[in-house]
Order: sequence, then structure tokens, then C-alpha cells
Amino acid sequence: MAAPLRLKATGASPGVASGPAYIAEPLAAAASLPSSVSGHTELADAIKTAIRELQDLATGTDPESRDIIEFQIEVLQDPTLAEMADARIDAGENVAFAWVGTLDGYIRELECSEEDQLRARAVDILDIKNRVLSVLTGTPVDDFPAGSIYVGKDMEPSRFLAHDWSAGGGIALYAGSAVGHVALLARSRSVPMVIGAGRFATEGGQHIGVDGDSGLVILQTAKEKATPAQFGHPVTSTVSTADNGDLRTADSSQVLLSINVNAPDDVDAIPAATTAGIGLMRSEFAVMSLSDAANEEKQFAIYRRLLAWADGRPVTIRMLDIGGDKPLSGLTEMSSLRGIRLLLARPEIARVQARALLRAAVFGNLRIMLPMVTFPSDVEDIRQIYREESSELARRGVLNRIPPIGMMVEVPAAALMLDAFQSADFFSFGTNDLAQYLVASPREDADFALYQAQAGPALLRLLTQAVKLAGGKPLSICGDMAGDPSRTADLLAAGIRHFSVAPARLPAIRSAIVGLNADGTKAAGE
Amino acid sequence: MSGGLRIGNREAEQVHASCQTEVEVKHGVGLHARPSVTFTRLAKSFPCSIEVAVNGSDVWLNGKSIIKIMGARIRKGSILKIRADGILAEEAIRALKDLIERNFDEEKKHGRTA
Repeated sequence: MAAPLRLKATGASPGVASGPAYIAEPLAAAASLPSSVSGHTELADAIKTAIRELQDLATGTDPESRDIIEFQIEVLQDPTLAEMADARIDAGENVAFAWVGTLDGYIRELECSEEDQLRARAVDILDIKNRVLSVLTGTPVDDFPAGSIYVGKDMEPSRFLAHDWSAGGGIALYAGSAVGHVALLARSRSVPMVIGAGRFATEGGQHIGVDGDSGLVILQTAKEKATPAQFGHPVTSTVSTADNGDLRTADSSQVLLSINVNAPDDVDAIPAATTAGIGLMRSEFAVMSLSDAANEEKQFAIYRRLLAWADGRPVTIRMLDIGGDKPLSGLTEMSSLRGIRLLLARPEIARVQARALLRAAVFGNLRIMLPMVTFPSDVEDIRQIYREESSELARRGVLNRIPPIGMMVEVPAAALMLDAFQSADFFSFGTNDLAQYLVASPREDADFALYQAQAGPALLRLLTQAVKLAGGKPLSICGDMAGDPSRTADLLAAGIRHFSVAPARLPAIRSAIVGLNADGTKAAGE
Repeated sequence: MSGGLRIGNREAEQVHASCQTEVEVKHGVGLHARPSVTFTRLAKSFPCSIEVAVNGSDVWLNGKSIIKIMGARIRKGSILKIRADGILAEEAIRALKDLIERNFDEEKKHGRTA
């Protein structure tokens, strides 16, 4: 039998996996889904579907429940409601937000009513708001069989997140980037991944292997039984150290170690006591469509769940970092804007998230982090939204609290001027974007990794300077650099004392920190 | 076929009207969720426009909108002015007035348990 053919690629997430190949459709074909349907039709159809669902529910229930359902159906058929939503759509609002905005207005009215009977109806309206919203939810992405190896030019983060990786499997990309978002997700979930394999011929279902450690794609000539036992996930050392992420360097300086989280169930396997909390929760990976972004209740539930897990430890939720190379399914326009600029340009998105966060903040040690901040006014403008939403919630009698609001430091113009950001309560370095904008190379670019490595000294100089400009405010690092033990010494030397890393990197970074002095030098005797 | 169309038109002309009435609400809890649903559903079964003004107000509310009707703070003793304009306006006014005078069929509903 011929030896397996090995293709040279670049490792993007360590580990070895094999399985039947799944050949992904080109992205262009998948992206051209609805868009031809007008917002009015889309909303009308969603409402019709919701009414049908309610009618099904109504049959076979008691008369009291049926009364409530009949009332909900009647509201869904209300002509003035449809007019208001249509007017918002005509004014350029996205369908989901037009619907949510209209219903929220009505819910607010009911909640503020002097009559108990009317106030009690608010929850019925909330229910139909969410029902229509879930019908409007963006078209589900095609999933592929569990355990297979994804093969394609690139991979969308939503597709990665929608897939069940518990049965193993891996990713082999013709192009792709080691610092792209899917690579980041793959590392955090320990899914083996290689990039830059070039276009190779394989058929769907053919057994192939991915070696993320040595950067190889293995095309089997034999059909089956490629000794599966030898593949699979590397056994990650799960030595739990219940130190609350409160470490000491060899010379007894305090260093905190937190985790980065994407989906809320990321934390399930991790005891909170092995961390100093969540240093970065990328909410855009939990809020994956425009309808999710419009869904205050869903977001509230996600944030509360993380706060419950953290049990009093800090939970830092980064507001939606969407736009640019992180599109939000359903949001087509304004893709050139990213992070906080998009949030400020589309305040209806920011306001829903703000309300969910304000309400969740009552339940634990929540912190809000703003993505891609460039100027102090960015932070002040968002703060204003939080103040407004907080007093509006209070007026409606909804418990809420404005938590500390900090910012990502990932734009050079901000990193150089940290002393000007009085309005930010804390800082966290996002080294991936910072490096990208420092070396003027998009990180989807295959050569970016080379530039990034070369720009190491420039990045460290910028970080060192920024630490001094932070003026003693809490400061951490949550970029990929924080999870690379070969950089720990440099980061300590730059003055960073709080690392937030993917859960899988906890053991490596923990042992790197305790083996070093606070100035980054090796501890004596090592 | 053209004959049928003409007849249809003539019939439409006959029933196209403007009509108004006034009625007192005697229902104990006023117009809350269930009676409002009954009212707007009946209103919507007529092609004409239907508007409601409460207690002499000059604000006319869309009688087919549950949100408007429920939000109008209609209580026991409220005087409703109802006006209809268009096809079957007279029938609509008569039916809605009857419904209010029958107390929105509430007693009947309570008796029914399917």
C-alpha cells in the first residue's frame, strides 16, 4: 500500500485529528441567501409564522391560557403596530430592530401604566416580541457531520460555533490565517487546525488527517481504518490549581490569570477557582445574528450564566466587536465600520446590549469592555448610552447597575494616548489587532504571521509605554500574545501583571509566570 | 360577467355609508384584554374604517387596534362614541353597539369550557 501523501501547511491550532473530509461550498454561494425579500414582507411572514405557532399552542389548553394566546394573536394582528414597524423599516432600520424597537416602545408604555391590569400584560407582549424575533433569526448555517475534517478556502466563525466539536474532527484550510478568528476559536476549543495548505484535491468523505503540531495535511491513499486510536485530541493536562488565578512570580510579585471565553458553555469544564475570573468574553461569538443582537432576554441570560459561574469573580464582557472581518449574520450594510464605531453608528444594537448588561450587572462582578476604541470621545459617547438606558430601566422599575466600563487597547492611536482616557475605568491589550495596525497588514493575510513576529520589539515598546500611561488603572492583556509562554517574560518586563488566556493555555502560562521574576528574568536556579 | 360586476358595484354603493353611535360601557372591569379582543375582532370583520372616542374626547382611535382600544382606559360607565365609514358601516355600528350592550358576551364565555 502506498504511503500516505503529506501536504505541507501551517499549524494554526495544535493537535492531531483525522476523519472523513467535508468539502465546504465556496463562501460566495452561501452568502447570497435572502436580501431579495423586502423588510416588510420578511416581517409580515415572521408575524404570520408566529401566529400559526400560537394557534397550535392554543388548541388543547385551558380557557385562561387560550385567552392570553388569543390576546397575543390579536396584538400581532394589530394594524397600528404593523404601521409603526413598517415606518421604522422605511427609515432604514433592520427588520429585527424595527420589530424590537416598536414592541419595546409598547412594552414600556404598558409597564409604566397606572393600571395593574395593563402592567400585567407587558410580559405577554415581551413573549410575542421574542417569538417573532426567533422566527426572524438569520438563516441557519449548514452544519457538517460531527467528527469530520472541514476542508475549504476559509471558515466562518458562525459555522465553527454552530458545529458540535465534541466528537473530534479538525480543520484544513487552503488559505486562512493563524491569527484569524476561527484559528482563535479552534485554539480555545482545542480543535486541530492547519492553514495555507493550498488547494488540494480530496473528495467528500475521504479519510484525511490534520496535524496542527507539525502543520501537515495527511491524505490517506487507503480508504479506512487509519488507526484512529493514534489520532484524536491530545490529552490536555487538567491539573486544576484552585489558586483563584492569583499567582506569585518567583520573586513574589502578584500576577492575575483570567480566562478568555467565547460561548457561554466554554466555562462548563473549568472550575472558576482556577481563574481570577473572565478577562474577556467575546460577546460577538455568543450573539451570532442580528436577531440575537436584538434579543435582550437572550443576552441577559448569557451574561447571568457567566456571572453565576464566576461566583463573585470579575466577568468582563466585551460589547459586540462586529464589522470588518467579523460580520454579523443579517447585518449587511456598514460593514466597513468595526467595533465601537459600528455600535455608535447603530445605537439600536448598542442599546439592547447595554440594557442586557445593565440588568445582569446586578447579579455579580460584571465589567463592560469596549472594542476598537480610538478616541476618548468613543468611551464618553457609550457611557452616555449607558446612563440613558439605566435611568430608563429605573423609571420602569427594572433593577440595574452601571458597572465599570473599560476599553480594549488595540488601536495604536489609543495605545499612545492612554493618559487621555479618563473616562475608561480599565484597559486590556488586544495584541492581535494592535499588531495588525502596527505593521499595516491585514491579519487574514498569510504573511501576517511573519510581519507580526518581526514587529515584536515595536509592539513591546508600545505596550511598555502604554502601561506607564495607564496611570495605575487596572490593566490586563487578553490577546493571543498573553497565551504564548515564550512571550511571558517580555510581557512581565513590560509591566503587565494580569494575563487573560484561552482556558487551554492556563497550565502553560501559570507555570511560565511562577518560573519568572517580575522583571521577566529567569528565577535563580532555573 | 360585466353584468355581475355592475350589480356588485351598485350593491357596494348602497352599503357604503358613514355612521355614528354612542353607547355606555356597563362591563364591570372596563375594556381589558379579553373584551378588547372581542371588540377589535368584531371590528376587523367589517371592511369599513371604525374609530372610537372615549368620554367626549376628540381623539379618534382606530377601533381595529387592540393596543389603542386597550390603552384607552375604558371603564364601567365610560361613554364610547363609535363611528364607521365605508362599506357595511351601518351593520358594523349596529353589531359593535350590540356587543357592548351584551357586555361583550362575557357571561357566555365564562359558561363555556371546551
